[in-house]
Amino acid sequence: MKSTPNPPRWADQFLRWFCAEELLEEIQGDLHEAFYHRQQHQGLFYAQWAFVKDVFAFFGPYAFEKYSRTKQFLPMFDNYFKIALRNILHRKSFTAINFLGLSIGICALLSIGLYLQHEYSFDKHVPDHERVFRLQSKYRDQTYTNMHFSDYYSSSAESQLQLIRFLEEDEAVDVACHFVPSYTAIGGNDQYYVEIQDRRFVAQDVLYTNTGERFQAIFPQTFLQGNPATAFSKYNSVVLTETLANRWFGDTWKQQSLIGTTLTIREEIYTLGGIVANPPSQQHFDFDWIVYQKEIPSWGAYTYLKLTEQASFPDFLGRLNQQIDQVYPGYSEDVLRKGIEGVPLTEIHFTEGNLYEIKAVANPSYLSTFGWIGVIILLIIWINYTNLSIAMYTDRQKELGIRKVMGARPLDISLQLVAEASLLAVLSFPFCYILLHLTLPYFGEILDTGLGRANLNHPLTLLSLFSLLLLTGIISSLYPAVTYGRKSLVHLMGDKIKSAFGYKYLNFRNVLLTSQFVMVVGLLSVSLFIYQQMQFILNKDLGYEKEGVIYFGVDGAEKYQALRQKLAQIPEVNSIGANGVPGEQMYNQLTYKLKDAEATLSDGTQQYLDWGSIQTLGIDCPPCQALAEGKERIFVINRTAAEKLAKTRGVSPEELVGTTLVTEPEWENEEHGFGTPHLIDGIIDDYKYFSLKHPNQSLLLDIVQQPQWVYEVLVKVQTDDWRQSMYKIEQAYGEIETVRPFDPGFLSERLEKLYQNERTSGQLMGGLTLTVVILAFMGLAGMVSYLAFGRQREIGIRKVLGASVGQILFLFNKEFMLLLGIATLITLPIALVVSQNWLNNFAYSIDPKPWVVLLASGIILLLLIILVSLQAFKAAIKRPVDVIKNVN
Amino acid sequence: MKGLGYLEETILLLIMLMDDDAYGYSVSMMYEKHMGKAISISAIHAVMSRLEKKGLISSYMGGATPERGGRQKRIFEVTAAGRQTISDIKDNREKLWDLIPDLS
Repeated sequence: MKSTPNPPRWADQFLRWFCAEELLEEIQGDLHEAFYHRQQHQGLFYAQWAFVKDVFAFFGPYAFEKYSRTKQFLPMFDNYFKIALRNILHRKSFTAINFLGLSIGICALLSIGLYLQHEYSFDKHVPDHERVFRLQSKYRDQTYTNMHFSDYYSSSAESQLQLIRFLEEDEAVDVACHFVPSYTAIGGNDQYYVEIQDRRFVAQDVLYTNTGERFQAIFPQTFLQGNPATAFSKYNSVVLTETLANRWFGDTWKQQSLIGTTLTIREEIYTLGGIVANPPSQQHFDFDWIVYQKEIPSWGAYTYLKLTEQASFPDFLGRLNQQIDQVYPGYSEDVLRKGIEGVPLTEIHFTEGNLYEIKAVANPSYLSTFGWIGVIILLIIWINYTNLSIAMYTDRQKELGIRKVMGARPLDISLQLVAEASLLAVLSFPFCYILLHLTLPYFGEILDTGLGRANLNHPLTLLSLFSLLLLTGIISSLYPAVTYGRKSLVHLMGDKIKSAFGYKYLNFRNVLLTSQFVMVVGLLSVSLFIYQQMQFILNKDLGYEKEGVIYFGVDGAEKYQALRQKLAQIPEVNSIGANGVPGEQMYNQLTYKLKDAEATLSDGTQQYLDWGSIQTLGIDCPPCQALAEGKERIFVINRTAAEKLAKTRGVSPEELVGTTLVTEPEWENEEHGFGTPHLIDGIIDDYKYFSLKHPNQSLLLDIVQQPQWVYEVLVKVQTDDWRQSMYKIEQAYGEIETVRPFDPGFLSERLEKLYQNERTSGQLMGGLTLTVVILAFMGLAGMVSYLAFGRQREIGIRKVLGASVGQILFLFNKEFMLLLGIATLITLPIALVVSQNWLNNFAYSIDPKPWVVLLASGIILLLLIILVSLQAFKAAIKRPVDVIKNVN
Repeated sequence: MKGLGYLEETILLLIMLMDDDAYGYSVSMMYEKHMGKAISISAIHAVMSRLEKKGLISSYMGGATPERGGRQKRIFEVTAAGRQTISDIKDNREKLWDLIPDLS
């Protein structure tokens, strides 16, 4: 026969798979014949469709009703399904507990997972990221994340590009670029007005670069308007992100053709060269817009390079360090310069302790803590489920026994139980989805990540949610399923209570319960430690006043002087000072020594501030008396510096007053020979200029009457109406400054920001702890009520014999209290070690005390007693006669 | 006497009508032709297997054709019991019809 179209192969195979062998021949024959005729009369498509329809029609009632292979297993699954649904509906409170516990737990877990995924995907979107590195330079004891220009601030455009050019001459380097985001420590934290036509906008978060095309080559931006070639073809071009375009040109910017629009920034003309998509939040630098201009307004820049495919980075670094004198003359002879190193792009987000890092880095130990909490939550869900199932199945032993009598094999029983659990787990999928849909945006906000609903609807997330649920169902039902499958008939049909309890103490359920208590008490105590530490930090005496003090930026000493006069007229203003605003990130340190001593110290932090600043902060400063008497400037050091210096000479700190200190003694100059000499006028007590994560630093303070150089202002305000007073200050500021917008902040808020990272992780930790406690107690509640129900006849008999309700409640509580006691003993050392580990992040911290763990355990105990008593009470107040006569 | 459903009765009649060529597909075609509506092959198979179990029809394999891919047909014949049943039904019906007064 000539070749004719065949019916769909898969349907044919499906038919062959399910159909009984003795029927296959005739059925398949009929269907093929039908296909042949239909294809001739009604066309191929119809014939194929009808064939598939017929095959499935055979799979339906006819196949179920009568014939072999399908009969063997399909009805069995059908039956499992039915029994599972009946059980789920029958035990409503258990189902509710399981459902809720599962949903909450899995949601918490998935949120953690999404967060970790977010953190670990940092900079991974950059193409060829494994070949991109950032150069960092080591100077004194610190590592700078940026490179400096060869003449620092006074570099010309040409010399700013010197390093980039030099790098690109190396055959290993494909392309190199540099930029400075304005909000970084070296970017000057600029804010200014941008004028477009006749409108004016406040602008910040600029990315300055003079290597536009190279920047685009390493970090490609998606252009929505314009293109990289023209955007970076000539200087004074700006590229906006979507957000900024929206803000400046309205929602309709997409319809407008904006390329070529002129903008005025500080009286210079710029052209709009392009609009790009917003940069992803998982990137170690952010920007609102890019300014491509001839000179970067800073003394250095963050420098990146992309290697060619074959190049090896260590070889390249070696070469660079050998030839670096060509860029920075005298570099290799300078003893303070410890060389240039590089970080792979994707590790920037995890490299701690470097100076001037662009964005806060992730603390890997926090990330792993969250990971561990996730594991704990998962364990608790599993333990809950397993515990509940064990309790629940005691009631179903008869059902299982009868199944066995009817011929169910152990595997059948196990399969049935696993199928039930998985069904329940999978059914909670929509609940989880809704819960995540509601909570994820808040979660993302707390952590200051871009996490949101978009992440939830990613197919991979949904798939992992589903498989997590299924896995939970399977794993948590595995133990009861296998045990019940294996149990002998006699056990199943026999006494429930006895078989449920097994060994009196060391049974599986008690082990699970104890480990659950360990986790709950442990997490709670760590959370308490974190809370204690945060309170400690916020209430610690810093050595100065922070209440009622505001700060804001000012451009230069002239404006400061004018502003000082204006502000003095406002009655609410108590005092005004220039510079020295506490709560800074650590910045570059310098070397210092006593004039005639050998030893040089390298950890000095120098500051230039006016007397007003000292007064505004209320710092106790006896040497400042000299200023009151009319002296123009004094030099004081703090106690930490004094003690270190005194040690180099072996005298007491007080004896240093009147001696001479030299800063930067390695610096050779015409005026003083080596370094800069300062006569020490006095010593003041330490105050906490930096975050409490760092120990006291050696402060070297230049305190003056009339500052020559001002960038920041401190104002102490005493007022009941902040809005009014702030308005007055802003008015005063506006009369003097027209270029720079007013950006005030409260000192106390600035100080709190130093611990932002710790606080958010503390909050998250607290939230997760709460989740864990709720989960654990939900499981416990279900189990206790079940146990109480199973033991009601025992309780009845006890009551007949004279036991009081109190005694019966005690009977129940005793068991759990014992387990909790054991758990507390196990937790104690673990919790102390873990929290000590965390506290090591701080130079000033509380001592983790064992009583906190006991307190946590006490809280859990109290909750436990309430819960157990509530659940057991129902059983304990029943009239004995009702319970005992009821033979079920 | 065993009960017979409407569809079973119809198909039994169709098998009688078709003599030597009654198998799944041909019966479904014939059903469509005489009754004016379509029926699925699986439904025919289900009905015929019920009829066979009731002993009203019998079957044998045979008559492979190329359009069936060389597979054999299961050809059904009405048994004596089948003929008896169907004629009993007919008789009973006719008795009832006779009892209805002629209105015309």
